Amino acid sequence: MMRMLRFEIKKVFSKSKNRVAIMVLSVILVAISIMTINRVEYVDENGNSSVGISATNNLRKTKNEWAGYLTEDTLRKVLEENRTINNSKEALSDDITEQNKAYAKKQGITSIVDVISQAFSGYRDYNYYAINNVSDDEVGTIYERRISTLKEWLDSGEETFTEKEKAFLIHQYEDLETPFYYEYMDGWSALLQNISTFILILALVIGFFVSGIFSDEFQTKSDSIFFSTSLGRTRGILSKIGAGFCITTAFYVIFVLLYTFIVLLVLGTDGANCPIQLDLWRSVYNITCLQAYLFILLGGYIGTIFASTCAMLVSAFTRSTPTAIIVPFIILCAFPFLSRIITLPGLCSFFPDQLLEIYIDIKEPALVTLGGKVISIAAFIVPVYAVICLILQPILYKVYKKTEIK
Amino acid sequence: MKLELDDLTKEFGDFTAVDHMKLTMTNGVHGLLGVNGAGKTTLMRMLCTLLKPTSGSIRCDGKDIFEMDSEYRKLLGYLPQEFGFYPEFTVEDYLLYIAALKGIRPVVAKKRVKEMIAKVGLSKATHKKMKKLSGGMRRRAGIAQAMLNNPKILILDEPTAGLDPNERIRFRNLISELAEDRLVLLSTHIVSDIEYIANEIWLMKDGILVRKGTVDEIIHSMPENIWECLVEKNMVSECMKRYKISNMKSEKDGVVLRIISKQRPFSNARSVEASLEDVFLYYFGEKAGDEDVAF
Repeated sequence: MMRMLRFEIKKVFSKSKNRVAIMVLSVILVAISIMTINRVEYVDENGNSSVGISATNNLRKTKNEWAGYLTEDTLRKVLEENRTINNSKEALSDDITEQNKAYAKKQGITSIVDVISQAFSGYRDYNYYAINNVSDDEVGTIYERRISTLKEWLDSGEETFTEKEKAFLIHQYEDLETPFYYEYMDGWSALLQNISTFILILALVIGFFVSGIFSDEFQTKSDSIFFSTSLGRTRGILSKIGAGFCITTAFYVIFVLLYTFIVLLVLGTDGANCPIQLDLWRSVYNITCLQAYLFILLGGYIGTIFASTCAMLVSAFTRSTPTAIIVPFIILCAFPFLSRIITLPGLCSFFPDQLLEIYIDIKEPALVTLGGKVISIAAFIVPVYAVICLILQPILYKVYKKTEIK
Repeated sequence: MKLELDDLTKEFGDFTAVDHMKLTMTNGVHGLLGVNGAGKTTLMRMLCTLLKPTSGSIRCDGKDIFEMDSEYRKLLGYLPQEFGFYPEFTVEDYLLYIAALKGIRPVVAKKRVKEMIAKVGLSKATHKKMKKLSGGMRRRAGIAQAMLNNPKILILDEPTAGLDPNERIRFRNLISELAEDRLVLLSTHIVSDIEYIANEIWLMKDGILVRKGTVDEIIHSMPENIWECLVEKNMVSECMKRYKISNMKSEKDGVVLRIISKQRPFSNARSVEASLEDVFLYYFGEKAGDEDVAF
């Protein structure tokens, strides 16, 4: 079985088009890594901005001066610091360079300033300047305000949640551990924002690799010999399914880890245990940045496996590699487009492309009630699609086993 | 080893590719002769369990081959008409992969692959990619894969198609050598391929087995005679309309025709011995402009 598996994998990567695809994927990896790294910017005291390792180190140093729990006392200090900087001659100047110098002083507290502004904005209306109207006495109420603005919004009738869902949201908000622990977390923040795009590209390339595993027997006219061997219709098929799984898993893990490694090597791993709400204020998930990253990875993996399995199924069924190649595109790219043109928003949330959009779900959750229990759609579709993937494997096996050579 | 075809039929919609075929095969070389579209490949695919019959059965030593499933395929070696391969694999890798599919243990497989590569004369091409091989070398790789599991039943579908005369003779000799102690079914529309090596010949037409027997029996089964005569060039087209012509050879003073006919066609025609090619033409050929054939 292992020998057959090895040969199946060899078949895939002996094709020059797949080797080119690996090279293209590597170039994309580097490009997206650079794009992600460039999201984190440091402005020096002269107002000049820079990116890269030294910029990150400087930013980390500046931000970590404020590291610790965001207690009322800390928040007051932030408020005071913000006021001082805002009233500085640099900040009040009309000159951009001077304003940049003011920003340079503010970099250490920008994330906390954002949190305060979020807390004092409407639930869905972020007001960048909200902090300017917050008093020392009020600033300590950001955690309570997070809950109260949610309740106000839920009571406003602007949304479509059921009573159970509203209760779930409030419970999640109330359940969040406070005060938040704060430290430099820009590496995770940049990583989480960009990783979904990279996973989507990765899933499409992996789909490209596996789409020929079953149909290439027909394309190369090797089918007659394959199916006339004693193990062709049994272990031969299992080795093909195994090859699809191994290629999908190995490429997913290797490339996602490479991307993570490159980004975090430059931007730093600090902030892994900070609550995701520091970055995504309205999130209903009471998880840390690291947990959010793992959740996004899990959803992406299930989505990639699902797209690969469907590509292999179509490959086995139609005996056509080009047809199979477009399947992951349909699943992962056409569905989101479809969800924009058809008016079934509830249904579209269950489409498999959502597995690659876990970040959006963490940011703004869609909820579903199952058997009286409310959960987020992401938490629902991840296990559901994992089960569907498992169910599809024996179907794939049977479709190929029943092949007749006419 | 005994293969029995009992009322075997395969239909594709309205078209019957194999029509209620009944026959028994034992060890030896069985040559299946028929024109393109006679149903040979369909029959072979059923014998290789690649296609299920519409009705009837194929039994191997009394057991249905589709029920035997992989047990039957263990006994089988198959070289299809369109021999597909994995272009980027080397000859060795290709054969090792097929050995794995045939359930041959790794240690045995390595030894067996080496043996078969030597046997088919591909030792120098062991590490060459399959796509770099010539047509003849690919066919030899094909016969090597079919023989890897030392099959008791060897099915070869048009194995010499596209080969040059040297390769064909070499291939024929190889099949003869391999045919000891096994059942070989060799399908072709090239008469000379089986004339020399087949113990039994089947003539197949429109899905029906029209004649079977040894080369001599088949030749003598033809109820007509073979004549050779010299005719003027302007008479050739008329002769082609009236007779089945198995050969034509232009000479200075006319054309020498080889005519299949019960009666002496011309007074100058002399009777000659029939060959399998004549028989093939008699059963499968058409007179020029003629739609009817022998059956």
